[in-house]
Amino acid sequence: MNDKHQDLVQTMFPSDGSGIKPYEWMISPTRQRQWIDEKGIFLWLAFFFSEIGAGLYFMSLFYSYKPGLVLGWLITLVLGGVIHMLYLGNPKRAWRMIMKPNTSELSRGIWIIGIFAAMGFLQMVTPGGFNAVFNVIMGILCLLIISHGFATMNVIKALPAWNSTIVLPLSIISGIWVGHQLLQLMFALSGNAAVVSGMEVWAAAFFLIYFLCMLLYAWGTWHSSETAKASVKRMMAGELKQITHVGVGVLAILVPLILTLIMWGGSTNGFLIFLRLVSVCAGDLAIRYLIMKSAVYRPLI
Amino acid sequence: MTYKTDEIWEDKWVNTTCGVCYCGCGAKVRVVNGVPVKIEGIKESTMGGTGAGLCGKGVAGLMYYHDPNRIKKPLLRTNPEKGIGVDPKWKEIEWDEALDMIATKMKKIMEDDPNKILFTNQTMRASDGPHNHPYFYAQAYGVKNNGNFIIGGGSLHCGNACHMLGGLIHGAWSIAPDWRYTKYVLKWGSSKGTGSGHSAMTNARLRADAVRRGIKEIVFDPMGNFAGGKATEWLAILPGTDAAVGLAIANYIVNIRGEMDELYLKAKTNFVYLIKDDGTYMRHEKSDKPLVYDTKDGKVKEYDDTSAAWEDLALDGEYEYNGETVRPCFVPFKEHLKQFTVEWAADISTVPAAKILEVAKGWVDNAQIGSTITIEGKTFPYRPVSSVTFRGSQGHTNGIHQVAAIDLMAQLVGAEDVPGGTLGWPAIRRAYPGGHYEQTCTVGTDGVIVPSVFYSHDPWPVHAPSYPATNMGCVDIWTHCTLSHIPYVNEVDYIHEKLGMKSKPEMIFGISANFVISNSDWDVAVKNFKDCFVVQMDLWVNETDQAIGDLILPDVSYLEKDCWSSEIDAFFFSGSPSYEDWYVHLQQPVAKPIGESRFFMDVYIDVANRVGVLDKFNAKLNDYYGIKDPELQIKPGEVLDWKQIGERVLKWVYGDDKEKIQKQGYATWHKPIEDVYWRWNIDSRCPVYMEYLIHDRRNMEKIFEETGFDYKKLEMDMDQYTPLPSWFWPESHKDLDNEFDLLAFSYRDILHTNNTTFQNPYVDEVSQMCPYTFTITLNTTMAKQRGFKDGDIIWIENKYGVKEKGIVKTMQAQSPKVIGIAGQGGLWADGRPVAKGKGSNFCKLLPSKLKYFDPVAGNMETAVAVKIYKA
Amino acid sequence: MPRWGMVIDVKRCIACWGCTIACKEEHFLPPGVFFNRVLIGESGKFPTSSKLIYPILCNHCSDAACVEACPTGATYVREDGIVAIDDEKCVGCRACMVSCPYQQRTYYDENVTKREYFPGQGKTEMEIIGEKLYPFKLGTVIKCNFCSERLEDGMKKGLTPGKDEDASPACVNICPVGARIFGDLDDPSSEINRLIMEKKGKQLRKEFGTEPAVYYID
Repeated sequence: MNDKHQDLVQTMFPSDGSGIKPYEWMISPTRQRQWIDEKGIFLWLAFFFSEIGAGLYFMSLFYSYKPGLVLGWLITLVLGGVIHMLYLGNPKRAWRMIMKPNTSELSRGIWIIGIFAAMGFLQMVTPGGFNAVFNVIMGILCLLIISHGFATMNVIKALPAWNSTIVLPLSIISGIWVGHQLLQLMFALSGNAAVVSGMEVWAAAFFLIYFLCMLLYAWGTWHSSETAKASVKRMMAGELKQITHVGVGVLAILVPLILTLIMWGGSTNGFLIFLRLVSVCAGDLAIRYLIMKSAVYRPLI
Repeated sequence: MTYKTDEIWEDKWVNTTCGVCYCGCGAKVRVVNGVPVKIEGIKESTMGGTGAGLCGKGVAGLMYYHDPNRIKKPLLRTNPEKGIGVDPKWKEIEWDEALDMIATKMKKIMEDDPNKILFTNQTMRASDGPHNHPYFYAQAYGVKNNGNFIIGGGSLHCGNACHMLGGLIHGAWSIAPDWRYTKYVLKWGSSKGTGSGHSAMTNARLRADAVRRGIKEIVFDPMGNFAGGKATEWLAILPGTDAAVGLAIANYIVNIRGEMDELYLKAKTNFVYLIKDDGTYMRHEKSDKPLVYDTKDGKVKEYDDTSAAWEDLALDGEYEYNGETVRPCFVPFKEHLKQFTVEWAADISTVPAAKILEVAKGWVDNAQIGSTITIEGKTFPYRPVSSVTFRGSQGHTNGIHQVAAIDLMAQLVGAEDVPGGTLGWPAIRRAYPGGHYEQTCTVGTDGVIVPSVFYSHDPWPVHAPSYPATNMGCVDIWTHCTLSHIPYVNEVDYIHEKLGMKSKPEMIFGISANFVISNSDWDVAVKNFKDCFVVQMDLWVNETDQAIGDLILPDVSYLEKDCWSSEIDAFFFSGSPSYEDWYVHLQQPVAKPIGESRFFMDVYIDVANRVGVLDKFNAKLNDYYGIKDPELQIKPGEVLDWKQIGERVLKWVYGDDKEKIQKQGYATWHKPIEDVYWRWNIDSRCPVYMEYLIHDRRNMEKIFEETGFDYKKLEMDMDQYTPLPSWFWPESHKDLDNEFDLLAFSYRDILHTNNTTFQNPYVDEVSQMCPYTFTITLNTTMAKQRGFKDGDIIWIENKYGVKEKGIVKTMQAQSPKVIGIAGQGGLWADGRPVAKGKGSNFCKLLPSKLKYFDPVAGNMETAVAVKIYKA
Repeated sequence: MPRWGMVIDVKRCIACWGCTIACKEEHFLPPGVFFNRVLIGESGKFPTSSKLIYPILCNHCSDAACVEACPTGATYVREDGIVAIDDEKCVGCRACMVSCPYQQRTYYDENVTKREYFPGQGKTEMEIIGEKLYPFKLGTVIKCNFCSERLEDGMKKGLTPGKDEDASPACVNICPVGARIFGDLDDPSSEINRLIMEKKGKQLRKEFGTEPAVYYID
């Protein structure tokens, strides 16, 4: 007669970590939902694509590789931009987001993307576009876009796990690392074995920095405040535990590590690079997902 | 951002009375285009909270109107099989057919014995109807006394013992602290001022001001939640052990500290009455009045002999009267108290001895014995201490002694119906200026107060137990029951047979009671009532309707009701206990009735007319309101509906102001201060020494012996019929053992009124945001030791194999020996989908045997020994 | 120009949820949407633990995180201190929601509008009329506005917010224990300033640095 208890338990005591007991809302650390749950998932993807697009563009600057520029520019604007729009409640009004660059990180991001779009286009169509001026300007813009997602999150003081100083370095290195991987694959596909092999030194270096930044982020967040610590704990429990283990442990760290060791010294292989890229992308998505999903607000009482 | 569109052709506020719980706060409803959209309190009224305040569930009352699950036509059971889990196979029928069916059935019963009809009444859905009139209605059929009423919502968890002593001590239905002047309040299993209990929001408003003023409020309760959570100090106590602490405090006052209000004891209690060796009063041979000893004249006199000054009456000593040794009953009383030490009380109650002592000390220190206060030029004794109880502490087999012990400490310091003390909730109603209907208590035999109005029966004078029983409740024998427990008990057939109740119940007729699930063991309730033809007027098909209902008639909710009488008795049941003006509200319809629903009073009248007893009912109304004006009296043969009757009664009650009052929706007039603090203005005495219980016992034992009623086999504890407030273990404690080692208790959540509010989506939504409302609470440490954590689903099982499921929520503020369940959840009726599956049902765990009821007042034992295990 | 603020007397509050439900009726809020809530918690250990009850609503911060985060200027602090949302300008990016350390904002989208108080049984007359009387715009963020329309209408009639029902927020009016006091923080002689001074009013989590206009006393 009381089988409905199970429903009530589901509502009031969700065990899978997907929600919060309603009576604990803002009484114990309470998870942010808007920027990851339901339509919020678009934001996760949008940040990711903006980042890897800009990462590819950035790395392409060093190799004066135009296809990389074009593809990076497209990924950032088309994939990143469109998905951003899908996320908005009133996309038709998106132009209004340029109104508050003085206070809003989001608004600043729109300006940067706008400038990136215009300047990037100019660089691509300008003969001899890979000149120092363009490269420096676009390099900076790329770094800003790479870090845009995390910067937007970083300014939110209410969420200590995002508000930590190590977030930005982590995001920049991850953008560069993924961008580098994309570029390496592009070279591999176009049969440029020498360049691919030469890039491997950097791959190892970026991977190492990336790995250290991750450790630093986890360690720094754990020690920054009780609330931030609760975020890290959330990553280690419930449904997020699997993502942490597989997404971060295996895909973001273990697989790239093994592949990097196999290709150590520049003995690169197109297929392995492709495998590593897939793994790195999935790992990066997992880290972003975890950081967004596990962020909690500090209780009010 | 409110956009008034062209489509809005009506936007108005209607004054009415809230009907979500029995408190009856003033309420006004915003109606837009005929749709009720918002409810607030009425700022001008003292009936309710501060300003336009109203509590959450009151505000949520809108949903009663909007609920699509409301029944819209009479429903008839077509499946002859009854029981929980059986589909009644309802068929919609026409009103005329339904009413004919009822009338035919009733006429047939009336030819034999009208007492075969049981009526259900008040505190079932909400107190949104006339309060007293269903009793007159039953009387019109020839039903005797209060013995044929069964109640649903509050059921026998409610205040039989409290009402009994409220009536005997205060001439009132219940009690409240005098928030305005008190300094030190003790609450025993009561949430007065913190959300529930009578006049809940009125008390809450007064209490809020008092705590702001800085009073101390000490709460004895198994959990520190609604009352305890807001107290100055919460003291964890085991359910049903309040009397032990109360008696220890009384002992401290009398025998250790020795500071009492002696003048009060001599003037306002029966402590000076002389008793014989057998404990009964020595009475005057002619007048039959109890006697007192005048120490100045050295003579025994009648208690009301004006030649004896109060201060000269003896509280101690031994005297001769007509060759017999007599002594004031205070003498054995004082001696009796000596056994109740604080250490003893601490052992029983789990309240530390030092705490009990601290409270006792605080009590006497704050009582300011001998002090006076002048308010508006009038001087009264000032006793700013108050000790109040209600449902929690009195709901045990020792209920009457619990209440007596808690009242005793107030008696000893004279803190009864004086500024700062415990007030009756209230006892007096003056007529509206220019109108009629005045209710003041009178003084009855032995100087005991007789309440002016009392539901069901008058607590005084006590009628002697008599045989044979003439009604289902056998209140001929159990004379102190406000509402009787007998119809609910498993042994009802044996009791009826032995005590000479020949008729068997054949019909139940009443208002949306949910008595199958809201009292005790569900199976016993089904067994006891399923053979009756059960007719209920209800908003939804509730659990009782679904299990055993035969005919369910659609009733209107309070929002559609035109009920002039809803709060005429407000002085008695909804008014402010404090010194502030009277307010009496009408219930005015704010929307049209849903479907074919009809107000139950009109249905009652229609049925009475068909059965042929309407004239009797009308005559009772004339009599109750004392209508002398022939034009206003309802004449024989007249058939008036409830609204038409109201036109007459209101004219009588409010005179020329009738129209004005109907227009504004409420009446207000001045309450004289002496009517609040009446104790020293009415020459009456509190029967603190419960001498009448000696006679009751003798009479009952005689009847039991003659009839062969084996009360010992049924474990009915006749020792509780003692004049001295004493300690008796509640039945639930006796059941504790190694396996069943926890006491389950229930408490009222501020969001809920019995089980009806579970169907309200607004309330449901916020209930899910509350940690304890829909869950079973366990002390955090205890839960951990036993391996339970938040969200675990557990079974609670009693000694009789009855079990209920629930969700664990741990809390620090709960005694480690108890488990708490709020309200009446665990619902399953298909007619109330929002309520379905919410919370857990505590009531079903209570065994329905006679031994689990207070042998004097008929209270349920509302704690139960249980074991818990994971489901 | 006044700066509207509120004092919540925690000592008086009995957690009846009147504010929460009255607010829902005032603004015709769909299921699951709350501009007012009551937080119920516990501190300490048995037997000296205490129950914590905090009614919460938008704090109308003068240094509001939501205003800072809003990229369009839709969320702004009015001259009278009320943090308002211009639903013509809101793009629905929810940066304000994520930024609010008090979590007082709700995204109004199809998920919200499709909800029914009696699930699966259709919307009630009240829900239907509410959508006309108090329309919210899809894809925008909504929150407590201190009942600014009540304040404005009332003041037009010459009434005083905080004193007169028709010029005061619904949650203030409904509180049965007078635990909510509304008034002008800029007026040194106002009742709320007196209470904040005398009873040492505290903002909830002052350390967030947003300067709430809601104070708590106990």
